Amino acid sequence: MEDKPCRKKRSAPELEKTQFEDEALETIWELAERGEVLFDALVEELQDARALRQMQADGLIELQGEKVLLTKQGRARARDITRRHLLAERLFADVLDLKEYEEDACRFEHAISPEVERAICTFLGHPPTCPHGRPIPRGECCKLFAKTVRPLVHPLPDAQVGEPLRVVFLATPMMDRLASLGLVPGAVVSLRQKRPTVVLSIDETTLALEEEVARGIFVKPHESEV
Amino acid sequence: MHCHGGKGRHGHAEGLKRVALVGNPNVGKSVIFGLLSGRYATVSNYPGTTVELSWANVSLDGGRYLLLDTPGVNNLIPMSEDERVTRDILLAERPHVVLQVGDAKNLRRTLLLTLQLAEMGLPLVLDLNMEDEARDRGIVIDKAALREALGVEVVGTVAPERRGLKELRQALLREPRIPRLKVEYGPLLEEYIRQVQELLPPAPVSRRSVALMVLSGDESLRGWLRGRLSQEALERLDALRAELSAKLGKAVGYYINEVRLAKASELTQKVLRRVAPQGGRVAEGLSALSMHPVGGMVVLLAVLWGLYQFVGVFGAGTLVDFLEGVVFGRYLNPMFTKVVQLLLPIGLLQELLVGPYGLISMALTYAIGIILPITTTFFIAFAVLEDSGYLPRLAIMANRAFRVMGLSGKAVLPMVLGLGCGTMAVMTTRILETRRDRLIATFLLALAVPCSAQLGVILGMLGALSVRALGVWLLSVLAVLLLMGWLAARVLPGQKSEFMLEIPPMRMPTLGNVVLKTLNRTVWYLKEAVPLFMLGTLVLFVLDKVALLQLVQRAASPVVVGLLQLPPKATEAFLLGFLRRDYGAAGLFAMFEQGALTPVQAVVSMVTITLFVPCLAHFFMTIKEYGLRTALLMVAVIFPTAVLFGGLLNWGLRALGLSL
Repeated sequence: MEDKPCRKKRSAPELEKTQFEDEALETIWELAERGEVLFDALVEELQDARALRQMQADGLIELQGEKVLLTKQGRARARDITRRHLLAERLFADVLDLKEYEEDACRFEHAISPEVERAICTFLGHPPTCPHGRPIPRGECCKLFAKTVRPLVHPLPDAQVGEPLRVVFLATPMMDRLASLGLVPGAVVSLRQKRPTVVLSIDETTLALEEEVARGIFVKPHESEV
Repeated sequence: MHCHGGKGRHGHAEGLKRVALVGNPNVGKSVIFGLLSGRYATVSNYPGTTVELSWANVSLDGGRYLLLDTPGVNNLIPMSEDERVTRDILLAERPHVVLQVGDAKNLRRTLLLTLQLAEMGLPLVLDLNMEDEARDRGIVIDKAALREALGVEVVGTVAPERRGLKELRQALLREPRIPRLKVEYGPLLEEYIRQVQELLPPAPVSRRSVALMVLSGDESLRGWLRGRLSQEALERLDALRAELSAKLGKAVGYYINEVRLAKASELTQKVLRRVAPQGGRVAEGLSALSMHPVGGMVVLLAVLWGLYQFVGVFGAGTLVDFLEGVVFGRYLNPMFTKVVQLLLPIGLLQELLVGPYGLISMALTYAIGIILPITTTFFIAFAVLEDSGYLPRLAIMANRAFRVMGLSGKAVLPMVLGLGCGTMAVMTTRILETRRDRLIATFLLALAVPCSAQLGVILGMLGALSVRALGVWLLSVLAVLLLMGWLAARVLPGQKSEFMLEIPPMRMPTLGNVVLKTLNRTVWYLKEAVPLFMLGTLVLFVLDKVALLQLVQRAASPVVVGLLQLPPKATEAFLLGFLRRDYGAAGLFAMFEQGALTPVQAVVSMVTITLFVPCLAHFFMTIKEYGLRTALLMVAVIFPTAVLFGGLLNWGLRALGLSL
């Protein structure tokens, strides 16, 4: 499946001004990934030369001959909107396992606050690309995270032995039994060893678990609450 | 394993007030039980040792009580059979007081259970045991504050040292009080609790708690409800539960547990203080080493070596030589022979007692001279391993191998105990979670796990032959174990159980408990084995006297002589094997000593008798646990497997021309 730009679903005049700007910025960002963006080509894509001129007047884009460039301000917005769109795609495709998610991703990108965006990015482990392979622009949370390579939320056996971990969610049929031992989202655990069998401790309880079960326990480092 | 009368039903003690010991697994309920009642209950450092109810009459300051020891539970919504036993006791009996034993170092988990007991409306005394281990880890609990918060007696103990026991007795004597804690589950759930409560029949515990069990989807409660409610009411309950689950957006049971856990955490924070840890480093280090992928193997080899030295060399060698060779061979048997000949002038009776198939010269000599030293040393070693906490760590190491056999590492306890006595081990298969796991473990125990007595005989015989012979035997048995386990796992329906095991801390075994446990097990073992030796000997004696033995030998000859290529006399050993495999092995050993078996024959016969049908007692225990059909089916598979594999090995060894 290809990334379909959102605007094709609707015609430009129907859109609110900001929303048109968002779509335009997103399109420019995407086209720029493949090379130069020419004004005529952009007009053809967006079907609204006047609105584009208005954006130029508002200082979001600038023209260099035939070429369209993003201003500093436009660039920041294009980055954000693209990032949100692609994160939404990742979330829908990977976590929710949806097949048809384009339209939802388009609506989603306008709906979420920066906090939610950070939370999703963290939850997904700061993915570098969208499901179709386009690079997701890095956010602040990713930069903080760049010190380590592992995704922030990961299955227990991928953690380092000894570090304190917070349980984020459980996805295993053993959930009830683990919960009886206090192993629920929010609980702090530490990994004792991975082989030959995963061993973790929670409070003063030491628990041996098969790797399969341990993979259903998703954790993140206890300290770094982004 | 509870060989002290106090198990099963306890109807005759109707009038007494009941004190029920309840708590998480491995917190020391059985130790407390033993201390309060003066009666021994199997105690070990392995979660889930108590698999059935034990009870005893105790007198506290003159008052008579019935004390019940229950299997450990993490949750009163049962996840396994033993957890269900405990819940059902609370549901069926109205205890005068529940003595909750908790692990002082794991207060949150303790309180999670306290909350549920409080919800049931049961009068409670809370005992925080293992205070010493908590202190080692720098955990201090403000018992006064906890008493205040719960509204019930809270005492602290260190059970093996009898510390705090007096306070515990006093607390039990006071007017029992119901904890005043109440967990609020939010308006939505509370509304459903109210609706379910109205439908429920009267129960010995609070309706609110039963309502919560029903809403959690507790399947084990169904039987109890079915007898008491109309079909419509049952359907209405199901509907309410489904409705609530849809509204909550997650499993109701899980949500309930989360709420309880939050409450338990909140309470824990109020009363728990952390100070600098005081010790326990050596145990900690040893623990980590014994679970390490490489270090763990080294520890395992060391343990096996130690086991071999103690049981194989010292028990089966030194002690057997002394008891069988010197005590019986030189003194007792000649003496008995003389006495019998003097007192019993009838030839037939003399032979019955001291002849070649004599009850004294064969059965008793074997039981006391060979069995006693071997099993005793094994049970001592096993008790030390069990109490040190090594076995759960072995489970971690063995999980992968056990997976091949369709089992999980959890089966280590029954399988290793099976090396002591298979019959006992069948009883402990109850700690396994699914019926499928229990069946596979029981089947493999019956097929290919030799008990200590048999192992002693095998080691003695093959060890005398060559290391290679011993190796062939070991590889053969392991191959059958893995292969048949693998097959059984494929044939038996049902899902494999996930491996999850609590690992208790490493502890120094106490001499008293090791001695007590060994004594209990050895006595139990002798009680079970000696009558069967007598019976087997008697059968051989009678068959021999009426000249049927030859007939039986001839009938079995196509298998024994044809397929296995053993001397006809080996049939006797296999006949004994139907009663006890170890006795059968001993018969073969005697033949070997007389030079009647070639090395190949020795190995083939030992492998066959190892895989041979389980002992009679083992068979009866299997019937008791799993029913006659299952037990017969197992034997129907095991017998041909043993014979066919023996034949295959014989053919292979002869074809290869391996010198043994």
